Parts: sequence; C-alpha cells; structure tokens
Amino acid sequence: MEKKDIFYPDTVPILLYNKHIEYLKHVSCSSYGNSYDFKSTESIRMSGIYWCLTALDITHSLKEFLQKPANNSDSISEEERIVNFLLQCYNPDGGFGAAVGHDSHMLYTLSAVQILVLLRKLDLVDKHKIARFISTLQQVDGSFAGDNKYSEIDSRFSFCAIACLYLLSLLDAFDLQKHPSSPFGIDTNKAVDFVLKCQNFDGGFGTVPGSESHAGQVYCCIGVLTITRALHKIDTDLLAWWLCERQLPSGRLGGLNGRPEKLPDVCYCWWVLSSLKMLGRLHWINKEALIFYIRACQDPETGGISDRPGDCCDPFHTLFGLAGLQLLGAASELQEINAVFCLPQYVVDAIEEDCCLDQLRAHRDKNAK
Amino acid sequence: MHGRIKVRTTEEQNLQKHKEQQKKLTAYRMGMKQILATRDADSYNKDSLALSAQLLTINPDIYTLWNYRKEVVLIEIKKSYQDEVADDQKLIHFFEEELRLTEQCLLSNPKSYGSWHHRYWILNHHTKPNWQREFDLCNKYVSLDDRNFHCWDFRRLIVNKIGISLADEIAFSTERININFSNYSSWHYRSTLQILNDENSVANDLILVQNAVFTDPIDTSAWFYLRWVLSHPGITKIQKEDLLNALEQLQELEPECKWIIMAKCWLVKQGNLEKDAICRLKRYYTELIKLDPLREGHYKDCFKVF
Repeated sequence: MEKKDIFYPDTVPILLYNKHIEYLKHVSCSSYGNSYDFKSTESIRMSGIYWCLTALDITHSLKEFLQKPANNSDSISEEERIVNFLLQCYNPDGGFGAAVGHDSHMLYTLSAVQILVLLRKLDLVDKHKIARFISTLQQVDGSFAGDNKYSEIDSRFSFCAIACLYLLSLLDAFDLQKHPSSPFGIDTNKAVDFVLKCQNFDGGFGTVPGSESHAGQVYCCIGVLTITRALHKIDTDLLAWWLCERQLPSGRLGGLNGRPEKLPDVCYCWWVLSSLKMLGRLHWINKEALIFYIRACQDPETGGISDRPGDCCDPFHTLFGLAGLQLLGAASELQEINAVFCLPQYVVDAIEEDCCLDQLRAHRDKNAK
Repeated sequence: MHGRIKVRTTEEQNLQKHKEQQKKLTAYRMGMKQILATRDADSYNKDSLALSAQLLTINPDIYTLWNYRKEVVLIEIKKSYQDEVADDQKLIHFFEEELRLTEQCLLSNPKSYGSWHHRYWILNHHTKPNWQREFDLCNKYVSLDDRNFHCWDFRRLIVNKIGISLADEIAFSTERININFSNYSSWHYRSTLQILNDENSVANDLILVQNAVFTDPIDTSAWFYLRWVLSHPGITKIQKEDLLNALEQLQELEPECKWIIMAKCWLVKQGNLEKDAICRLKRYYTELIKLDPLREGHYKDCFKVF
C-alpha cells in the first residue's frame, strides 16, 4: 500500500528568529483585530491570545509588546487592552469564555489563567472563585466536563482543571483528599483514576475510556499524572515507545504525527516532545531530523510556523514549533519552556515560589497564634 | 488551521476573497449580537434560533451557540410538560430539527467536537430516539473516514445505549479489519472489546493479526496489535515458535522492514532471558539501529537492560 508523505523542500532555513518576532508582533497587536483570520476565530480567542503572548515571551519580546500603545493611540497599552478583554470574559459563574459574551468553558479558563500568570496579574481575579468553578466540573467518576451544564467529557478537561488549579496555587487547598470536609474541591485520586482508565492497549491515552490513543490526549493525561505525581502508575517505556514511533522519515526531515498512519504536524512535535520530556525519554526521538522538520515549516516571507512545509502559518503552530525547538536544545535564543504547562519556565518557577510562600505564611501564622 | 496550503493569489482573487470574507464576518457579528441580546432563560426568539443554525453551519466550533440551542431545547421540553394538550409530535419535530442541523454540520466538518456532542446530547433528551438510525450514521461516517475518532467514540456511546452485544461488535470489528488491514482505529476498537478471553480467542486473534502483518508488513497498524496479543499470558510456546519461524521467512522477502525484527524481539524477550536469548536480542537491536536510525535512542536503552 502506498504511503502518504508530505512535500519537503531540499534546503531548510536556520531558525528565523527575528522574522518570527515580526510575525508574532503583527498577529498580536490590536490592529490585526481587523483581519479575517482574527475575527473568524473568535470562539477560540482566549487560547489564541495565550499562544501569541507565550511565543512572544519565549522570544524575549513580550515586555516591549505589552508596553506599546494599543490601536496606535496613547490612551491604553496593549497590556491594558488584553487585560480589559480578559476581565470582560470573566463570567459570573467564575469561569472564562473564549471571548466577550461567550460561555464559560474549561479550555478558555485555563488559557485565561495562563495569560494572567504570564502577565503577573492573577491578583485581578478571585482565584478561589475560579477554583470553585473548576471543582463543579468534576463528575462522579473523576472525569471533568467542559462546562457546568452540558457534560461533554474529555481527558483534555482533566488536564485543564488540574493545571489551572496548580497555576492558581490552589491544587493543595482544593484537594478533597487533603481536606475531606471542605465544601469545595476536587478528588485528585478519582481524577487520576479516570485518566488511567483512558489508557489503551498501546500505552497511549484517548479522550475518554475506550477512545483511540492520540498524542494531544497523551500530553493532557501525562500532564495530569505529572502534576499529581502519579506517573509511576503507568508503563512508561510502552508509552514512550508509542510516542517515539510518531517520528516519520521524509528525506532529512523527521516530523512527528499524532497517531499511526497520519501525516506529521508541528503541533504534534510539541505534544509528543513534551510528553517524552515528562517521561524522561526525550532522547528516544531523533532530534536532528525533528529540528529540520520544524525549521522547514517556517515561512521565510512573513515569519511564523505552519503545520507542514508550504502550508499557511498561524500562532498555534508558531508557538509549538518554537517551544519544540527550545525543548530540543536547538534554539539557545529562546527562553526555556516548561513541558507540563507550555509556559516559560521562569513563570512556572515563580508559581512554585508562591506556593512555598503561601505555605511559609500559613506556617508563620499558625505559630503566631 | 491545519492543512492550509499557502497559495499565491492575484490582486483580483484577493479582492474577491476579501469581499466574501467581509460578508461572512458581517453575518457573524450581527448574528452573534442578536442571538446574545435575545438570549433568555425562559423564552427564545425564533429568528435568533434560525440565525444560530446559519452561523453554526458555517462554523460549528462556536460552542456558545450550541449551548444556546440546548437552552432552547430545554425551554421547549419544559413547555411541552406544562402544555395542557400533550403535543408529542411538536417536541419530536424539534428534536429532529436539531439532529438535522448536526448532520448538516457534520457533512461539511465531520470532526467538530461541538456537532458530535450536540447530537448525542439531543438523543439523550429525545423522547423517541431512533438508535438504529444513529447506528447507520456511524457506519456511514466510518466508511467515509475510518480514522475519524469522533465517530468511533459516538459508536461506543450508541452501543452502550441500545445494548448491542459484544459478539456483534466483535463481528463488526473483524469485518472492518478484513476490509482494510491498515486501520489503526479498527484494531484499537477491537482491543477494547474484551476479546482476549481464553486460549481460543487468543489463538484466533493471533491468526487474524498475523494474516494482516504478513499481507502488508509496511503498514504499522497491525504490528501494534500483534505486540499486544503477544503480551497475553495465554500465548503458547508453540505459537511463539511458529510465529518466529514465519517471521524469519518474511524477513527474507522484506529485509528492510524493521517491524519484523521488532516482533522477533517481542517473542524472544518473554520469559527468563538465557544467554542465547540475550545474544539474539543484542543482534536484533543492532540491526534495528541500522534499519531505523530515527529511534536509535530507544534501541540503545533497550540494550542497557542486559
């Protein structure tokens, strides 16, 4: 049977670092808001902002961008514009919608919290209220719904919930295992149990128990197990092997697909790589071939990265391409990225410090009584 | 965002495209504005409902609009309980309209989470759901794209609802595999059917998957399933030996196929590793590094076990 393959060029550019910064600034600034690509993706806007800002941050361009005046006016900065937008998406139920007027959803609540953490503006929201919203999404079997009304279940939402609580520094405080008599909280054991039920014959993870293994779901499930320190419960080698089998030879290029017999895609470079990093098996893929693949997906004219060589680029693939290159050690220009949260490492370090500070504060207050 | 080839367009094409895009954006902006302005817990506006259908047909990922439609359905359900004259037909017609909308959306975008979830949600509230029809829909979509995991997930939900027997699903799985060995989703589905129950079923599946890998050794799907079958404690020594011999023969025909060597590793690795087995495994991993250099890191770690 003839195998599908991608188009791949003969030569591959180096990392077009400055071009990507140019692209990111272009798609992040307020005037881009008039473009079709921007307006037609309103129902994922919050995630779009997170992708842009994180990519800007790892290319050391975030601070400068945030201080720029929005809409070429002097009244507010890009940062203020983004924060205003975010707060308008903060719904009465404690969750965030993708855009103004859109319903609360777990996906966009995570993206919003990631943005707030990036901007160091978590104090603008009621963290406990967000955590309470998240806790209402957990089902009896430990899974998480996407919203508090219509019960779409997906292991992605388990990751969103756990990651969000961690970024809010409330994972411990909202852990019913640790505070069983608390009126609000999540059962982390059950959350882990559900995720484990999503594991398949090949070691991979799917959307819900019984669903086919998919690299995106693997990232989410391994993320949950990493944050809750439950990785020892799975067969690491089997999963890591399934993950490294995602690499496909196309000439010198070696991109990654999301599941067997599918085409490679830069976003899978991230989902697979970060999972391998969490599993301690990053060396199981061929770094050079993957680096060539990601670099072949760059757009030398406009900057930005696409899913495959020759395709249109977008912020989603730009972030994951850059993040992938950083994880591979192929881009010393970039800030270190954290594999679990897909946020700059220094941002995640600050959360851990906050956690420690909270613990210290609690300890000190206890002793003072 | 995936698979959009970058094409060069003329100025005239750009202008035309821009015109069409502006039209779509205006429709979206005005539509959303009206729908959100008329959104209410106790009543709904028929024009807004119609607008939401138009917008979802163009973009089924506007999840807020699927939520809105669910609210409207709940209002209709509540109304039908409160009405003095029971009008089952009106409510059923309403449900059917929702299903028709999701089907329309799925035709142009068969991978939208929102469309599949809305359909299932409607069926759960439907007073007279036609599960057979849903089954047929599943089969239709699997035929169109047998890797569409939304469709397989939907099938699993339906099967639970109407209590289709495991034996029937096993037969379906066998049929799908025989239509196309290169279908990872079919092999995966099979693995969820509690199939490796006894020696007989293990032997049967070994034959099925062996047939697949020998027919098309380049396709990876069946090899993953073979690995799983071989990990079952019910595999006999004779079955392993027979398979090993067959693999040696296949290797002569397909010397470049790494999967054959991988399968030999799986067979030799089981049980206590005597000196001879370790020698063979070392030889196999060395061959694998040559044939499959992308995964050298993995194979080198396999060496370390000895």
